Parts: sequence; C-alpha cells; structure tokens
Amino acid sequence: MKKMSRREVLIRGTGLGMGLIGVMLSVPAVGFLLSPLFTKQKLTWITVGPIDEVPVNQPTAMIAEVPVGTGYPTPPVKRIVYVVKKRDGPTLALSNICTHMQCDVHWDPSLGNFLCPCHGGLYDIDGNNTGGPPPQPLAQWVHRTHTDAQGRTILEIQNQLDEHI
Amino acid sequence: MNLRILLSSLQPVGGSVLTNGVVVAIVILLHIQIATYITGSSTLAIVSEAISMARKDERHGRLAYMMVKSQVQIFAFGSATAILFVLFLLTGLWAIFWTALQQITFWVMVFEAAFFLVEIVLLYSIYANWERLGNHRRARLGMMVLLNITLWWQMFLIDVVASFMLTPNAGDVSILNQILNPTALPLTIHRTIGNLAWAGAVIAVIGAFNYLRLTRHSRVPTPDAPAGLRPLRSIGAMAVGHLETEAKRAEILHWEWVAQWGVIWAVALSLLQPWVGYSYAKEIQLHAYGAWYTLMFGSLSNVFLIQIFLLGMIFILGSLFFWRRMVRSGAPGAGRQLALMVALILLTLLAIQPAWFAGSYADAVAAGGNHPWWQGGLLNPIGNFIPFKVAALIGMVIFGLWSVTSYATALSRGHIVPGGSSRGAQRTALILGVTVSLMMMVMGVLREHSRQPYTINGEITLHQQITNNAPSSSSVDQGQP
Amino acid sequence: MIVSRWLTRPFKARMRGSAAWFEDRTGATELLHKGLYEAVPKKGGWAYALGSATLALILLQLFSGIFLLLDYVPSVTDAFTSLDYLRTSDGFGAWVRGLHLWGSYTLIFVIGLHMVRTFLSASYKRPRELNWVTGALLFFLVLGLAITGAMLPWDQAAYWTTVVVTNIPHYLPFIGDGIRTLWRGGEFVGPITLTRTFAIHIWVLPFLMFSLIGAHLYLLRRHGEFGAWVNYSTDPNEDEEKQIGERIRRAEPPYPTKRIARRYSAPRETVPFFPDQLIKDVVMSAVLIAVIFVMGLISGAPLDEPSNPATLSYVPTPEWFFLPLDQFLVVAPTNPLIAIGVFGVLGIGAALMIFLPFIDRSPERRPLRRPEVIIPALFMAFTVIVFAILGISRLYNL
Ligand code: HEM
Ligand code: FES
Repeated sequence: MKKMSRREVLIRGTGLGMGLIGVMLSVPAVGFLLSPLFTKQKLTWITVGPIDEVPVNQPTAMIAEVPVGTGYPTPPVKRIVYVVKKRDGPTLALSNICTHMQCDVHWDPSLGNFLCPCHGGLYDIDGNNTGGPPPQPLAQWVHRTHTDAQGRTILEIQNQLDEHI
Repeated sequence: MNLRILLSSLQPVGGSVLTNGVVVAIVILLHIQIATYITGSSTLAIVSEAISMARKDERHGRLAYMMVKSQVQIFAFGSATAILFVLFLLTGLWAIFWTALQQITFWVMVFEAAFFLVEIVLLYSIYANWERLGNHRRARLGMMVLLNITLWWQMFLIDVVASFMLTPNAGDVSILNQILNPTALPLTIHRTIGNLAWAGAVIAVIGAFNYLRLTRHSRVPTPDAPAGLRPLRSIGAMAVGHLETEAKRAEILHWEWVAQWGVIWAVALSLLQPWVGYSYAKEIQLHAYGAWYTLMFGSLSNVFLIQIFLLGMIFILGSLFFWRRMVRSGAPGAGRQLALMVALILLTLLAIQPAWFAGSYADAVAAGGNHPWWQGGLLNPIGNFIPFKVAALIGMVIFGLWSVTSYATALSRGHIVPGGSSRGAQRTALILGVTVSLMMMVMGVLREHSRQPYTINGEITLHQQITNNAPSSSSVDQGQP
Repeated sequence: MIVSRWLTRPFKARMRGSAAWFEDRTGATELLHKGLYEAVPKKGGWAYALGSATLALILLQLFSGIFLLLDYVPSVTDAFTSLDYLRTSDGFGAWVRGLHLWGSYTLIFVIGLHMVRTFLSASYKRPRELNWVTGALLFFLVLGLAITGAMLPWDQAAYWTTVVVTNIPHYLPFIGDGIRTLWRGGEFVGPITLTRTFAIHIWVLPFLMFSLIGAHLYLLRRHGEFGAWVNYSTDPNEDEEKQIGERIRRAEPPYPTKRIARRYSAPRETVPFFPDQLIKDVVMSAVLIAVIFVMGLISGAPLDEPSNPATLSYVPTPEWFFLPLDQFLVVAPTNPLIAIGVFGVLGIGAALMIFLPFIDRSPERRPLRRPEVIIPALFMAFTVIVFAILGISRLYNL
C-alpha cells in the first residue's frame, strides 16, 4: 500500500468527519420526515344514522363526525356520506370526495349527475365517472349497517374509503 | 310581462321549417364570413400599420391600406345581409322566437346595432382621408383602433345573443346573466381567435390569387438550378424574358409576401383553437347537456369529425406551404418542416377516427354493436375522445407551433428568398383559405343544430312552441363508450 | 488618559478620526462606494427598476410576515381563530395582513414583468445564463410561497386550496402517493398538513429564496447589467467596427462584458448606479409599496368561513394567479392525460423556461429578430390569458 502524505491524510480526514456529521444528522431527520409513510391511520367506526327514510333513486347527503386518525389528536371533522338507495341492488354509502383533486361533489338533480364544482367532473347515480376530469368512480366509505332496538336500519362508516383515490 | 299573451297574437309566415332554415342559414353564413373578415382584418390592419410606422416599411403600410379598402368594399353588403335576415327573414319566418329574443336581449341588441353607426362613420372617414392623414399616421392609427374596438364590442354583443340561445341558464333573463352566460366568454374568445385566423386566411388568398394572376404567363423556374441561387436567378430570368417592367416584378414580390403574411397569421392563431374549443365544449356540457350530447355522441358527432379534419388540414396545409417555400429557397430546416408535416398528418388521422361506425352512439348500441370492431362490434375505442383525441390535439398544437416557428425563424434569418415561391405554394394558400372558410360554416351548422329542436335552448322550439321545461337530460343515455 | 485626549480634540476632527478608524477596521465605505458607483446602461432605466422593485417587495413580505408570526398559530383548530382575532381585535393586525396579501399579489405581478423584460431584451444570453436560471428558480419559489401562504389561514378557501394542491403529486407515477402522504402527514389532509406547509412557507422556501437572491445579485454584479438592445445600436452611417472599438475602449468596469459578441459587450453610454438608476428604483418601489399600503388598508385580506370538509355548496376558487393552471386541469381529463398534462406538458414547459439560455444561443438580441423564442412565448402568453378568461367565465357560472 502506498503511503499517504500528511496533506492527503488531513484532506481525507476532513471529508470523513463531514460525512460522519452528515450521516448522524440525516438519520433522525430523514426518518422523522418519512415517518408518515410508515404510520398507520387510526381506524374507528362512526355511526351516521338511520337510513330508512332515504328515498329511492335520490342520493341523500348525511353528515358524519369523522376522526382524522393522523397527526396529533384533533377533534373529528364533518364529512358527507351520500346514501344512494336503488330499487334493486345494494345501498351505497358514497363519499363525496372527487377522485380528480378531492373537492366536495354534490348531487345536481338537473344534470342527473354528481357535479364537482372544481373542474366540472360528473358522476352518475352509482358514482361512475361520466364526464370531465375524474379518472375513476367515487369511492364508498367502508360501511356496514345494523338494526337498532326500534327496528331502524343504522348506517355506520369507518374513517377510510374502500378504494384508493 | 307575459310572453305568451304577447306572442300568441303573432302568426308565422308560411313555408316549412326546413326551407326556412336553409334560407336563413345561407344568408347568415354569408353574413358571418363577411363580418368576421371585417372584424379580424381591422385588427390585422392595425398590426400591419403599426409595424409599418415602427419600421418605416412600405409593404406593411400598403397591406394595411388594402385591408381598410377591402373592408369598405364589403361593409355595405355585409350589413345588408344582416338587415335582410334580421328584418325580413327572422321577423317573417320566426316571428315568435325572434320577438321573444328581441324582447329579452333588447338592450344588448340596441347597442349592437348602434355600433353600426359608429363603425360606418369611422370606417369611411379613415378610408376617405387615408392620403390626407398620411402625415398624421398616429391619428389615423388612433381612428383605426377606435374602429377596431367598436367592431369587437359588436361581435361580443352578438355573441351574447347567440350564446344565450344555447345556454340561457334556466331562462334567467337579467342583463348581467345574458352578458356572462356560461358560453358567452368562451364563444367570444373562440370567435376572436377564429376571426383573426380567418382574416389572415383571406389575406393569404388575396395575395396568392394576385401572385397566380401575375405569374400566369411566365415560365416556371428551371428545377435543376443550384438550390440557393435558383429563385434569384429565376426572377432574373423572368425579368428578362417575360416581365414587361420592373414594376410588375415588384408587384409579384409584394403579393407573394402578402400571401405569406396571411398564412402565418392563419396558422399561428388557429393553434389556440383546440384549447378554447375544448373549454367551450366543457361549458356546453355543464349547461346544455342535451346539445353537448348531440355534438359528441349523437347525430352531430360525425359532423364534428369534419371539423377536426378541417382543423388538422389548416396545420397540414400551413406546413405544406412553409415546406414548399423553404425547399425552393434551399433553407436549412426544410427537412424538419417535412417531418413536422408528416407528424401533423398522422396526428390528424388519429384525431378524425370515428368512435363508432353508426350515426350516433345510441345507434351503435341499438344495433347491438356495443363492443370494439375487432370483436365484430361497431365501436372503435381508438377513436375515443379521451385519451386519444385529446392527445392528438395536444400533439397537433405542439407540432403546428413548431412548424410556424421554424418558418418564421428561417424568414428572419433571411433564408427564405423573396420571389422564390412556386405557383404550387400559392395554390396551397388558396386551399388554406377555402379550408378556413369551410370550417367556419361547419361550425355555424354545428352550433345552430346542436340545440335542436330548440331555438332558445329549453325555452322555445323551432316550431315556435314555448316550453317551460329545461332540456331534459334524463332522456339521453349518459353512458360513455 | 486616552479618553481625555480624545475629548480635548476638536469635534470635527474627533468624528473624522473615528470614521477613519471604523473605515480602517471594516472597509464599509469602500464597500458602499463599490456598490453604489457601478456603471449601468443609460437607456431604459425604468425597465431595469423592475428587478430592484422585486427585491423591495420580497423584503416587504419578510417584514410583514414576521409581524404576522407574532399572532398566528399554525394549528388546524387555532389558525383560523388566531387570524380572526388578529383581524378584529389587534390594532393594526388587519392592515398588516393586508400588506402581506397585497404584497404577494404585487410581487407576483412584478416578478412576472421583470421576467418578461429580461426575456424580451435577451439579457439571459452568454455570459448571463445563470442570472436567468437562478431567476427562473426564484420565480417558481415565489409561486410556491404564494400557494403555501394561501393554505395557512385554514378557512374554507385555504382548506380547499390545500386539498387540491397537495393532491396534485398523486398523479406522479411511482413516487406520487408517497409525496402526497409526506406533505399531508397521512393519506388525507389533517393536522400535520398545516404544520408542514407552515414550515415550508416560513423556513424552507425563504431559506432557498434568499440564498438564490444572493447568487442572482452576485451574478448581476459580476457581469454587469446588460440592459437592452437600445443601448447597443450603432450609427448606420459610420463604420460599425470603429464605433464598437471606441465604445469598448471607453468602457467603465464592469464593462466590457467578456465572452459576449463584441457588439454587445459595452453599452454606448453608462450612468453611475447611484444616483441615476437608484432614483428610478426607489420611485418604482415606493409607488408599488404605496399601492400595497393603500390596498392593504382599504381591501385588506379576506377570511372565509372556517374550514369545513363537508360542504355541498362551497365553490372552491383558486387564487387568481393559479387560475390558468386550474383551467389546465379542466382540459386534461382522466388518466393518463392528467399526468401527461400536469407533469408532461407543464413540466416540459417549466424545463424549457429554466433552460432557455441554453436553448436560445444565437447572439441576436432584438426581439423581432428572434421569432424562434418570441412566437412560442407569445403562444404561451396567449394561452395563459385565454385560460384565465375561460376560468373566470367557468367559475362565474357555477
Ligand atoms: C426574487 C426574485 C428576483 C429578484 C429579487 C431579482 C432581482 C434582480 C435585480 C435587482 C436585477 C438588476 C436590475 C434589472 O435588470 O432589473 C436583476 C436582473 C436580472 N434578472 Fe432578476 N430578480 C428576480 C427574479 C428573476 C426572474 C424570475 C428572472 C427570469 C426568469 C430573472 C432574470 C434576470 C436577468 C436575466 C437579469 C439580468 C438583466 C440584465 O443584465 O439586463 N430575475 N434581477
Ligand atoms: S376536483 Fe373534481 S373535477 Fe377536479
């Protein structure tokens, strides 16, 4: 092995020292920065309410208090569940989060479609994207129903969607 | 005021809706071609005159004068067609509809008509005093700007009326709602750009026509001369052999330059049309779903393909014109221009594919052909608007932009030899003019037919029945192929 | 001993002595002199005042921003309330917020004008390529600051801006969802979204920005202000080479600029930066700041309803300077066009803009002789204007 000059040793030593500082600082910093990637959202079930009154073929907005489930504890936020009852087929619990850029869509009776105010995305009554920018159908909240003591059908949702949007 | 009571006393003059429609369509299309040229060229005249003043350049000044003169020549005829259809045809044949529209858009129309007066005064005083104002070019330019403003305002106001007919916004007739109805601004921008492009195309046609007229009897330049020198020499040859005077040669150079000026404007401005047209269609989708459906899926969807074809042709013909001039001049970049033309042709072919081989989407479904043609169906997924046509349109715009830019660059570097044009290049310019003209007609037909059976969408039908129901959307199939 | 000797000297001499001492120890006057008496081109000074106006406005943002920090709380539960308090109960709070908002609007406008002017005058050409590159990066940083700033009030407008903007990375293939999660601190917008955006707005972007401004100004001084073609024309009746030679011989530092076409290496006439150019800079900045001052007072900064993720009637409207981009989202529908439009077309556009000096390398500086860049730029400008108008019409009719 060739003998290093004193100058070379110093230069390499400086580089090594700086590298070491860099590594020491970046491990916690990068780990901290990336932590949301590895942190799971806390899931809960939320009662939305009875859905017996919801008319057939008429999407009806119900409001639920949904815990965010990420970050430091904060009060739950209001979210909309569009309950869609069909004469045949299952009852849907559509989220009103547009699959384009996640604005709040609403049911527009004159268009016979869900309309997104942001860029004019359209979805039909089943939540299928029928026009404009949205790339995929509206997602549903993960949901279930049960019958309560008075015999009403109660809708419950989880604070997550059934599709990745 | 109750429209029904007022209008029930009016009876239309006879004639079938069809023949009446044809008559009105012809007169209106004629009027549109003239009026849009006047509006567009009034702006181009200002541009030309301003360049002439800034650069002390004769050609641009002459071109500006030519445009003003042409406006004067056709202004009366253009207004006459307007009067014909407004006063006689519409009042006579569609009295109820027209009276209703007049009632609703009264103030808009009053101002629209009033602008005629201002325009006549301005246009004729500019024209009549052109020479006299030669020493006061700023004043003259100022008058031209005033004229230009009135023309564009007039266009905007008539657009308000036209767009209100398509998207009356649930019959809300307040003035503000008329002026800002959902398609008023998109239509206005669409037409602004279209008028300028059309004016450019007309100028190209005028230049090309005169060029062809003047060179009719001269020999075609010999094709085997060395590239860079050929055009110059051919001019020399023409001057010796066939042109009586230097003046005639100068004339040829001038008209060649005029044609090129027009082509550049026509192509460059059309580049914006896809963006605007798309947003315009989006507004129609949101506010006149039935009309939009007719255009995109229904009976007019195939006519729409003609429109896309014509748009592609504008870019292709432009590129062809540029390429021919560049090749003749031996300009560097001619090969690239050719490649761009090929790309534009391919993209146009992609864009004009029908999405179904039937009259409309509903027909294809009704015939049980609701699957791709390679499975024996009537649908052609490659012809879908999304993503294929949108991608093709984006490509057309980018390559078209490239094509114009590379020609303009060659021009500014002095690589395009004046007098080096072939007659073929000028014929291309003529065809370009025809293409733009056709495009405007098809556009008119599309717009007026899309809202059938209504004249005011959802409010009054072609048969002059007043309806109270908004155009229903539930009656059309909203599925996407 | 020393004190009494100092005290017994005449006052003027005393001051001169200490000034000399200070100058000797710091070199401050020399530095100031160097900074102030640099030669700049004589013609077109008002157009060159746009750069320093940009600087003045950025400093104003720093200033008003620090004051906002005295009250603002970056938390989803308190951000709105703290700004509401600032607006209603804190003496001049509303005005300071107005200054910050109108300052940002004006800044975007002015930085745009500065860019247009350096583009038209082809100031970005050899050897000032990096002036342009740093400038273009600064432009994007300013836009980034504007949009992250718009998220901080956490009212309805801010909330929906946050939702839409943080969702855009989603369409980036492979890493997009990761970026969205990192920014939001989870899959959906939540409390961490605001704190992260806040950190980006007040630390990350300003830090980058002030470093880049330093580089931008250092480069400016290194190569000298180019100005515009009007300063380099020659008299067509005289021998051009001779005129240019003469000009270069008489040039003051930093001219003649090296590595540049001879014709453009030294302006025909120069003036000292102080006071000839500085007065224009100061007047321009003063007028702009006066506008901000007045608008900040009479119009202030709006505060919407508190954020509400469950709304059926709220129409989110983008900030005016993002309206054309928002319209772009309308014309690029569904996959894969969203990704192609947002990252392909806009990304290529941004790259072309940043690397412009390396694409347009001809020595020509007159705008009308550079159609190869002017035509595409005009096309882009028209597109932006047209999209803005279409956006307004669309939002009005919702
Ligand atoms: C934070 C933002 C910016 C600041 C504070 C700033 C400041 C300045 C100043 C003070 C000047 C000299 C005066 C003048 O020519 O106007 C200048 C010159 C220049 N700036 Fe900027 N600028 C900024 C952004 C930009 C942007 C966005 C661009 C273009 C993309 C740009 C490109 C240039 C160029 C090329 C010059 C040289 C002009 C010449 O030499 O003629 N700058 N800048
Ligand atoms: S966010 Fe719904 S269409 Fe864009």
